[in-house]
Amino acid sequence: MIREIKFMLRDKAVWVWLSLAFIFSITAVSLGLNEISQQRAEIAELKQLDQIERDVTLSDQSDWGAAAYYTFHLTYDPPSDFAFAALGQRDVNPWKHRIRMLALEGQIYETDANNPDFALIGRFDFAFIASLIAPLLVILLLFDLRSGEHVAGRLRLIEASAGNPKKLWFMRASLRIGALAFALCVPVLIGGLMSGAAITTLFFCIVAVCLYLFFWTVLTLWFTPAKRTAAYNLTIMLGIWLFLCAVIPATLTQAISRFVPLPDGGEIVLTQREAVNDAWDLPKEASYTPFLERHPEWADYTAWDAANGFEWKWYYAFQQVGDQRAEMLSEAYRKGQARRDELATWSSLISPATLLQRAMESLAGTDMRSAMSYEQSVRDFHAGLRAWYYPKMFKSEEFNADWAKDALPDFNPKIKLQAQGSFSK
Amino acid sequence: MSSVVRIAKEEWRQWLRSRLAVLSLIVFTLLLLFTTALTMLDAQEARHERLHQQEQAEETFLDQPDRHPHRMVHYVFRAPPPLAIFDPGVDAVTGQSLFLEGHRQNSAMFADARAEARTGGFGALTPAKLYFLFLPLLIIALGHGVVLREREARTLGPLLSQGVSGVRLYLGKFLALGVLLGLLSLPALFSSFAASLSGESLLAGMALYTGTLIYLGIWAALTLLVSISARSRGLALGILSAVWVVTVLVIPRIGVTSASATLPTEGKILTDMRMNDDLRKLGDGHNAADPAFAQLRANLLAQYDVDSVEELPVNFRGMVASKSEEKLTETLNRYAEKRMTREEAQAAHLSAYSWISPYLAIGGASRNLAGTDLHTHHRFLREAEALRYDFVQGLNKAHIEQLSYEDDMNRNNGEEGWKKARIDAANWQVLNDFRFTPDLAADRLDRAASKLLALLLWFVGLMGLGIITARRLAP
Repeated sequence: MIREIKFMLRDKAVWVWLSLAFIFSITAVSLGLNEISQQRAEIAELKQLDQIERDVTLSDQSDWGAAAYYTFHLTYDPPSDFAFAALGQRDVNPWKHRIRMLALEGQIYETDANNPDFALIGRFDFAFIASLIAPLLVILLLFDLRSGEHVAGRLRLIEASAGNPKKLWFMRASLRIGALAFALCVPVLIGGLMSGAAITTLFFCIVAVCLYLFFWTVLTLWFTPAKRTAAYNLTIMLGIWLFLCAVIPATLTQAISRFVPLPDGGEIVLTQREAVNDAWDLPKEASYTPFLERHPEWADYTAWDAANGFEWKWYYAFQQVGDQRAEMLSEAYRKGQARRDELATWSSLISPATLLQRAMESLAGTDMRSAMSYEQSVRDFHAGLRAWYYPKMFKSEEFNADWAKDALPDFNPKIKLQAQGSFSK
Repeated sequence: MSSVVRIAKEEWRQWLRSRLAVLSLIVFTLLLLFTTALTMLDAQEARHERLHQQEQAEETFLDQPDRHPHRMVHYVFRAPPPLAIFDPGVDAVTGQSLFLEGHRQNSAMFADARAEARTGGFGALTPAKLYFLFLPLLIIALGHGVVLREREARTLGPLLSQGVSGVRLYLGKFLALGVLLGLLSLPALFSSFAASLSGESLLAGMALYTGTLIYLGIWAALTLLVSISARSRGLALGILSAVWVVTVLVIPRIGVTSASATLPTEGKILTDMRMNDDLRKLGDGHNAADPAFAQLRANLLAQYDVDSVEELPVNFRGMVASKSEEKLTETLNRYAEKRMTREEAQAAHLSAYSWISPYLAIGGASRNLAGTDLHTHHRFLREAEALRYDFVQGLNKAHIEQLSYEDDMNRNNGEEGWKKARIDAANWQVLNDFRFTPDLAADRLDRAASKLLALLLWFVGLMGLGIITARRLAP
């Protein structure tokens, strides 16, 4: 055993690949930690600004309608302690919204559009290293393991001197891959401990990475027999890598997108906006009728002052009607997203790279489910905001800014967990 | 027959005798053909669909019955340019339709990437991705041994002593690789021609094809250089794979991180907070009673020499809408331009990495030439905004001139009032047709020039190094 370790350490190529793995992993982990701390700092700053702005704005208002119109509420999805390892959906879907009581469908699709060039090239996070680069490193560490000895003419001798040749090669391979796993996982372990990730999360992550490396080890040993040349073995393995890490995932995404078509997102916004724009110039009954279907409790409060062309309660009623009109489309869109995600989960059973990527994102809380449950929590919060304001507007309660400052509903990111439960029902 | 050609032929004979080489050639060719065909079908379908949607949106707009001018909204679509059949570029991550309405600038909100199933990997396969990302692997696999093979089989000595100079040997091997690349690049050539059939200039297509060839040539030259210098195949493969991993997979992503860290963009929420501050000062264009319009009211009353807005010969509500649209658009555009300038700066920062990663250089140049780059997306946003402003202001003009203030104010007063508050459908003609086309080929070439130059320098440098090494070649 000790002799084998010494053997391995004498091989310069092994050193090169292991140090590359270590450097990549350290870089990815520190970039990830940096990104997460930036996101946390941004949330903290926004929370503060949001509070200040809301208090100042509230003091300037004189009625509930204007208060609801001018005050925004920050909602956010704080990154988990393990999000640094897999940024996942946080790059694509929004993790912060500042919403107000207007039609929600007009606000919830807004997103921090990053530079499209960046999204195209992608991020250098640990999930990328583990799922796409690590298999290459396994291949590069192992492709010449036996063929190299064969070329050097030592193969027979080595196999003869070992009791069980299979066991010997397996041990040699395991040593190298064990060292690789070590080089990859130590930075993520340290990063995880620094950011306070749960030990179980780190444990599952390391187990997942080790299993994945083990899969590639077996695959590489299987396809690189000693009697073939190193070049032959490497070419075959690069081809397999190309298929497992690029062709199959791309095909799966394509197939799922075709299998589960989504309604055009633009239609949702169009429907909502036309409903709201139209309402301005429609008779007020046109907005109140569909509104009262949902809120019969306000049926007795919709009378308006003929001298007044504008009333806030009417304004918010047609905002809600805008959401109601778009509801079907919006639900279909979300259902489609969930269905696609579900299919991706199943299809990852035939694509190990997908499986690892999704496992990491799920551990990090950066998968589609998390993004969707955040969206649901924003919807719930918005509904709460309406429930809070409606009595004040319809019953024409007296406005009190100082009281409102403390009494307004507050977004609590912990609601996310409950929202997740309600969505999966 | 010159010895260069003879050496190249001999190399090809070796490849064709190797089942693996033939197999990987076939597999790669099939992959290229499939991807080229699929991407082409996808892009053309998207192109037709969006052109159709655009026509439909315009028809719908024009077919609107008489109604209040503030109720008009419109859609614009960005059809993929012809060369998107080779490189769809930023299309997948930006969203291609834009919803236009009064007093609001929307972003292209629904990008495909947002709702796609996440399956890891490298995203959708396109011809560009295959050529730039993966074809170098095939070049490495087939090419790393071209000289090493002779060295290992001890045929290098006899070859050199027969009077074949090292340089000629180098050129022969390069010719063999060159023919290989020429054959593999045929699908790309096909894409360029196919694009020119759907209206793309041949200049852009050929520049893209040439860029692709130079890029592949860099990998051939590098592979050959390593094959000449390295002492064993394992070492050669190791070096080449490491170079591939670092320049293709690692540097571009590090470049992205570095660009976003050095030139951070302000988040949308912060921008919105600032913008809302600015906008509040402009007043609410829906509410003609907003104090922000007091000055406008005073001026108009003085101009027409009347005492109240009801007596004005023009619709005051329309004047307010028009004035506020103008001010608002100014503010919105200021923020939009700031954001786009920042993104361009980030792109420039990123493309500085082209000098150390040919992959970044060709990727950028390819998007530039295909018209699927950031710059084109920005132009789409600007043109859509210009269209939006034009039709909104055209409608506001109709609102001012053709809808009486009284009817307008009574619009919420029952069926009667609602029906009166309309303008004639003939006014919908203010809308201009929107057909988004790529920049002139020369402009696109200009944007790609520095990256193409970087590629050319890499190629010349590696070839030069190779020839120098070949001159001193010893068995």
